[in-house]
Formats: sequence, structure tokens, C-alpha cells
Amino acid sequence: MTSSPQLVLAMLADARLPTGSHAHSAGLEPAVMAGLSDQGRRLDEIPAFARSRLRTVTATEAGTAVVTRHQWLAGGSLSGVEDAWAARTPSAAVRAATRQLGRGYLRLAYGLWPEEMAAAFERGAVPPRPLVLGVIGAVTGLSSRQVAQLVGYDDVQTTASAALKLVPLDPIEAMRWVLQLHPDIDAMADDVERLTEPAEIPASGAPLLDEHAERHAVTTRRLFSA
Amino acid sequence: MPETPARSFRLGVAGPVGTGKSSLIALLCRELSGELSMGVITNDIYTDEDAQFLRSAGVLDIERIRAVETGACPHTAIRDDVTPNLIAVEDLERDFAPLDIVIVESGGDNLTATFSPALVDAQIFVLDVAGGGDVARKGGPGIARADLLVVNKTDLGPYVDVDVARMIAEAGDAREGGPVLGLSKHDPVSIAALVDWVRQMTTTVAGGGHVPIDPGPMAPHSHLDSHGEPFTHTHPDEHEPGHAN
Ligand SMILES: Nc1nc2c(ncn2[C@@H]2O[C@H](COP(=O)(O)OP(=O)(O)OP(=O)(O)O)[C@@H](O)[C@H]2O)c(=O)[nH]1
Ligand SMILES: [Mg+2]
Repeated sequence: MTSSPQLVLAMLADARLPTGSHAHSAGLEPAVMAGLSDQGRRLDEIPAFARSRLRTVTATEAGTAVVTRHQWLAGGSLSGVEDAWAARTPSAAVRAATRQLGRGYLRLAYGLWPEEMAAAFERGAVPPRPLVLGVIGAVTGLSSRQVAQLVGYDDVQTTASAALKLVPLDPIEAMRWVLQLHPDIDAMADDVERLTEPAEIPASGAPLLDEHAERHAVTTRRLFSA
Repeated sequence: MPETPARSFRLGVAGPVGTGKSSLIALLCRELSGELSMGVITNDIYTDEDAQFLRSAGVLDIERIRAVETGACPHTAIRDDVTPNLIAVEDLERDFAPLDIVIVESGGDNLTATFSPALVDAQIFVLDVAGGGDVARKGGPGIARADLLVVNKTDLGPYVDVDVARMIAEAGDAREGGPVLGLSKHDPVSIAALVDWVRQMTTTVAGGGHVPIDPGPMAPHSHLDSHGEPFTHTHPDEHEPGHAN
């Protein structure tokens, strides 16, 4: 069976993909709880938040996925990539959420591409999501650019859909944000698509988002896990 | 993840908010944890109160009670995307191998929320008397086709003007004879009946003698055909719209 990379990309970017990501908000709920958008009175802060993520934490995640794809196709080991990702993701709460998402994607990927995934990840492994996405990209023929776009698009779309639950918002407005962020997603992909080595992964952190994430991890009232 | 410690019997407990799902699970833990190795997963919507309630009930080692977050979509978490719940089940099975039974409590949701057979082997749907005597008759997939329908809080019947015997009889009709159990935490006979059902189901599932039944989005129901004869069917294409996010 051969499937086209474009359709694999559409499938992976579909919100209905069963990976457990519906319990995540790409850091939006923690930020909203800390005052972002002032309960929806300054809605434009939300797309600005998504843009900031694309330039910082999401670039790190996309770079990790791109480098994973390259290393896997080149027959290399992934442990250096995982270390590089962890070193660039200082918040334990963010690392835990990203590994939780990684498990969900890996569970699905094991079901769809069992041999390929078993070769890449040991049983019981809990890799962060960008590692799983990078390997999926490698085994399904996605280009490095498509992998980067997938990570960027997913982050923006997750933010927009979570916003619908968190603030008063017209869904068409949320989709307009996503559309208007397409150039930003592409710009991020431009920056990371040619990376091949773990050391090249962007280390562009967002300390305030990390602080929000840490606080969110211990709150007892929340809709989203992270 | 293809880890394979012994697979437990996975039992879902669904039903509207406040009908007594957590209480029923606490009761099962109290009655059965001496003879079965158990685990519990709660699906809270906004807090981890269900997990906290069960932990504080002191009926099961708190490590065996885990909360799963549902991103404001309790329905999705037991139906369209069961990933977080399955991961939690597999973790419990790994950490406490061999487990006999894992009970999954759904986040209190509406009448149409039922578990996917990808997540549970069998499911109990819980209604309560206080929700009104008509609810059982109105039906819905969980009421009609869960493996067991519990009509809980029978002790409250006189206070809410519900004829409990009639409610149970109408539930039996809606289920075309499927099992219905009137339950009250103050009625030891009803508790023993519930515990027996779970004990037997655990044995049946462990022995491979049970095929999970999907209550589905709509129960089979009857119409008169063009010759005036009743026929029974389902509506396979009238699924609820997707609710993936
Ligand atoms: N009178 C009476 N009350 C009961 C019985 N079982 C449960 N309750 C009460 O019903 C209330 C709700 O019980 P829970 O077990 O928390 O219900 P739940 O379905 O888990 O609720 P959610 O998780 O919030 O949907 C509590 O106040 C219980 O004490 C019963 O048999 N009789
Ligand atoms: Mg409960």
C-alpha cells in the first residue's frame, strides 16, 4: 500500500486524529488563567500568543521533529535528538505534557505502522511528540518542510480550538486567526526545514510560558491538561 | 503501546451527572478488593474530585486510582478518542500486574454518552430515581444496551414521587429484557446483587466468554413496515456529529 504524503499530512493535521490531544491547549489555558486576553476583552492577544510560540517553543519542537526525521532516514540514533530537545525545554511541566502527547501519537503510530515504529522506539518508551512525528514523517515520505509545517499548524490550530472553550469567541474568527498565521507557520518552517543535527535545533525559549505551564500543572481547576 | 502484561477486565461506568457512579465504584472496591486485584480510572471534567473522592473513601490503595483529563470533552474521551484512557488502563495493568479488573468512570455526561468497545469490555449505565421516573422509559443507547442498567438511589423513591417498581419495569421494557438492577447504598440485598453481577462478568470476560457489545449511538427500534408488520432496525448513518475537540 502506498499513500500520498499530502494525504498523510492532512490526516495527521486533522483534529479528529485519536491521540488524546483534545485534552491539551498548547499552553493557552495556562496563559488565559494568568490574564492573557483579559477574559476575552483583548482577543487579539491570542493570535499574538500563537505567533510568539511559533517563534520560540514551537520552533524548538518543529526543529526537533525535522532533525529526528533526518537522523532516522540517515540511520542515526535518536537519543541525541531527544537530549537536545530536553535541554531546550527547561519546564518539567512542558516536557511532561509533550511526552504525554508523544505517547498518544506513538500508540496510534504503532497501530498504523507497527514494524517501522517498533524499529524506532523501544517498548515502554515515552518519547516527546516531535520525535514520534519526525519518525512518522520519515516512514511516510513527508518532506522536512511538511514535518515542520505540521508541527506549526498543529500548535496554532490547538490554540485556536482551545480558545473556543476558554473565551467568548466566534469560531469563524478563530479560523481567521489560523489563516492569518499561515505566513508565520511558513516562516518558522523556512527557518528549521534544513536542520540536520541536534545541535542546530533552535534554543529559543519563552520563560513566561514555562512559568505559566508550571503553575498550571499544580492547579486543581482546569479544563486542559496543559 | 504494545506492552503486554496480563489484560484486565475493563468495566465502564457511565451515566448522567450525580447519579452515583463514583459511589457505585467505591462500593465495588469496598466489596471486591479483598478478592480481586483492582484499579480505577476517573474522567473528571474540571477537577480531579472524583479521584479524590474515591481515594478518600479509603476502599482502595490510592496508587490504584488515577484521574484522566478530558479537555472538556468527557464524551470524546470514552468514545471517539480513547487514547488517554487506554494509556491509563495500560499503565495500571503494568504497575499492578496482574490486575483482575479496571473500572473506568466516565465524566458525568448526557444520556447518549457510552463507552467505545475499544476501551471497555462491558459497561454499566447508571440512572437514579431522583432524575425522574420517566428517564428509563425515554431510553437512549446506554439505557437500552449497556450490559447492565442500574437504577440507583431506590431509597429516594418516596421523596421524589417515583414509583420505583414501575421505573424498573419500564427500564426492562426499554431494554427488551436486558438486566436492570435497582440499587441503594442502604439496601444490602441490592448491593449483593450488583457485586455478584460484577464478579460473574469478571469470570466470564477472563475466560474469553464475552464479546463487547457496543450500545451504539442509537438502539434498534421498531416501525411498522408497508404491510403493517413491525420491523426492527438501527440508523447506522444517524451517528451523532463528531465531537473530536
Ligand atoms: N440516597 C442515596 N444517595 C446516593 C446513593 N448513591 C449515591 N448517592 C448520593 O448521590 C450523590 C452523587 O453521587 P456520586 O457517586 O458522586 O455521583 P456521580 O455519578 O459519580 O457524580 P459525577 O461524577 O459528578 O457525575 C452523592 O451525594 C451520593 O452520596 C444511594 O444509593 N442513595
Ligand atoms: Mg463521580
